[in-house]
Amino acid sequence: MKRYVPLPLLLAAAACADGEGGAEDADTLSEAPWEEIEEAASGAEISMYMWGGDEGINAYMDEVVAPHLEEEYDITFSRQPMDAPEFLSRLMTEREADSMDGSGDILWINGENFRTAKENELLYGSFADMLPNMDYINEEAPYVENDMGTAVEGMQVPWGNVQYAFQFQGAEDPPETMEELLDWAEENPGSMTYPDVSNDTGNGFVRHILHHVAESPEDLAEYDEAWLEENGDDVWETLRELAPHLWREGETYPDSLSQQDQLFADGEVSMTLGFNEHRAESLIEQGTFPEDTETIGLTSGSISSVHYLSMPFNTTEPEAALVAINYMLSPEAQIAKLEPSRWGEGHILDLDAVSSGERDEIEAMVGEEVVPQEDALPELDARYVDWIQDNWEQEVVQQR
Amino acid sequence: MRSILGWSMLLLVFVVPVLFLFLRSITFGWRYPDLFPSDWSMRAWHVIAGDPQILQALLTTMLVGITVVALNLLLGIPAAYALSHGRLKGVVWLETILFLPILVPVLAIAMGLHITMIRLGLADHISGVILIHLLPTLPYTIRVLRSGFDRIAPGWRRLGDTLGAPRITLFVTGLLPMMRPSLRSAAVLAFVISLSQYVLTAIIGGGQVTTLPLLYYPFFDSADQAVIAGFSVVFAALPAVFLLLWESLMAGFTYLLRRT
Repeated sequence: MKRYVPLPLLLAAAACADGEGGAEDADTLSEAPWEEIEEAASGAEISMYMWGGDEGINAYMDEVVAPHLEEEYDITFSRQPMDAPEFLSRLMTEREADSMDGSGDILWINGENFRTAKENELLYGSFADMLPNMDYINEEAPYVENDMGTAVEGMQVPWGNVQYAFQFQGAEDPPETMEELLDWAEENPGSMTYPDVSNDTGNGFVRHILHHVAESPEDLAEYDEAWLEENGDDVWETLRELAPHLWREGETYPDSLSQQDQLFADGEVSMTLGFNEHRAESLIEQGTFPEDTETIGLTSGSISSVHYLSMPFNTTEPEAALVAINYMLSPEAQIAKLEPSRWGEGHILDLDAVSSGERDEIEAMVGEEVVPQEDALPELDARYVDWIQDNWEQEVVQQR
Repeated sequence: MRSILGWSMLLLVFVVPVLFLFLRSITFGWRYPDLFPSDWSMRAWHVIAGDPQILQALLTTMLVGITVVALNLLLGIPAAYALSHGRLKGVVWLETILFLPILVPVLAIAMGLHITMIRLGLADHISGVILIHLLPTLPYTIRVLRSGFDRIAPGWRRLGDTLGAPRITLFVTGLLPMMRPSLRSAAVLAFVISLSQYVLTAIIGGGQVTTLPLLYYPFFDSADQAVIAGFSVVFAALPAVFLLLWESLMAGFTYLLRRT
């Protein structure tokens, strides 16, 4: 992939656009039998755009996924640490310049970023049906077809499933429902806060408040402006009532989850929160969080969020990318992903489709569920996320 | 007495913070309100050393930085000299134009630059990244070198002319040694600016050109302070390595000059 060309030479060659013909698109490939795709994938070098700020996730990719692809398929896999907004802006420019010689082959994406990518035609196409390992995934699950209100249409496949959970330290009787949590905040002034809603974790907390205000999750199943008109004020009122009991009396909020985690680690606040009910385990292990950290999933309902794998329109190695994605969906790779010492996040397997041995392994690994399946709430439409982002500052912060 | 005070101030401001960062990177569970760390762990350094791209990233960062400095001097010295001693018309305008890249936020033009880079075939190449790093560095280099040249009286040049020295000899043996402090400031500044580019490198290099910030910045999104501290120590060490290289280069140059 890397080509080093002397600088002056390149400057002289003013217009040598890369016109190496487009890669085959999803339609031509879908005709090919899987064995042929595997054969064509052999020897390829692929890279994946993904956020790189977690040693556990990085270790999973470097120590499990990459070696397996190398051994089994002779594919050289590397991850390119880049956040979704950055790789999307790159892809948009490449789309504009018609550059089919992309440098990324797999994307880690979901929700709003997926919507942006789909609307701007930055994705490869519908490829989910080509993957044999899609058989292990519960096709009935709502997230296979719908990602926060955007139809998936096979353009991305689920990779992991995480629940929203709350971490407490030194709380004798930590709250277990949203109602109790709000009371707890009142009884323990200054102990609680949540990140700014421009951050997905902070936004997720407010989405829980939306669920709290709604009578049933069905009210929020689809984006409903009339519902917001009617109940929006209750949402803000709840948060305004909560604000004076928060850290620094709600005059300021942490900018990011990492900031709140550091406040939590320093004992400045005694709760933190976030997607992935197992995220505290590795943080305790590495000494960031205190040993007595306790994770609670709300029995009043906890949003579960799915993240996906996709391919950009200008991948030069679509076959190898398909093979790699297919492997990442396999029971073997999904079970290895559960391992708390590495990543430790939820799988997307259909427990009825895997072998009984694998099922036992999963059950042993997951242990007692932090959030039982029946308490899981569906993720909201991405337009609710926008609505929260647009109004929170004015309705909650400035009303102080 | 005064120099002791000066040195301890220097130590306090420049060395102690780095030492503290290093300490932070090798402790385990060192939290407020503990005054001293109780447990030690090399975990952060294992994470950093265990990254499969770390060596490549360090080499790329040094290569990009050194090339950027070399190009800066190559382009900056003539430009600064002309601005200072060239008796040009409209110097103010010229200087403003040369300074413009700093006044316009780079992010605002990054997308447009990326398209141009794709057309030129420079995107995703180390050469494209080097070229784009000139944008935030060259204006400063010209500024620094210009004020350096301003301090050299034009009389020196006339003296050389009178003695019959060729221009090039005069430049190499006369002006450059006098410019040594300014050259050093310009070089270090350009290196440090190049070292800290994240967005430009990410957009133009497309993850194919992995410099240290590309590995390091994502960790700011985690609560893992030990790893952040460890990376920061590596980050702080690079300019020191560069300065060492620079000083040895200069010493070699002076030695050669004396011998001829």
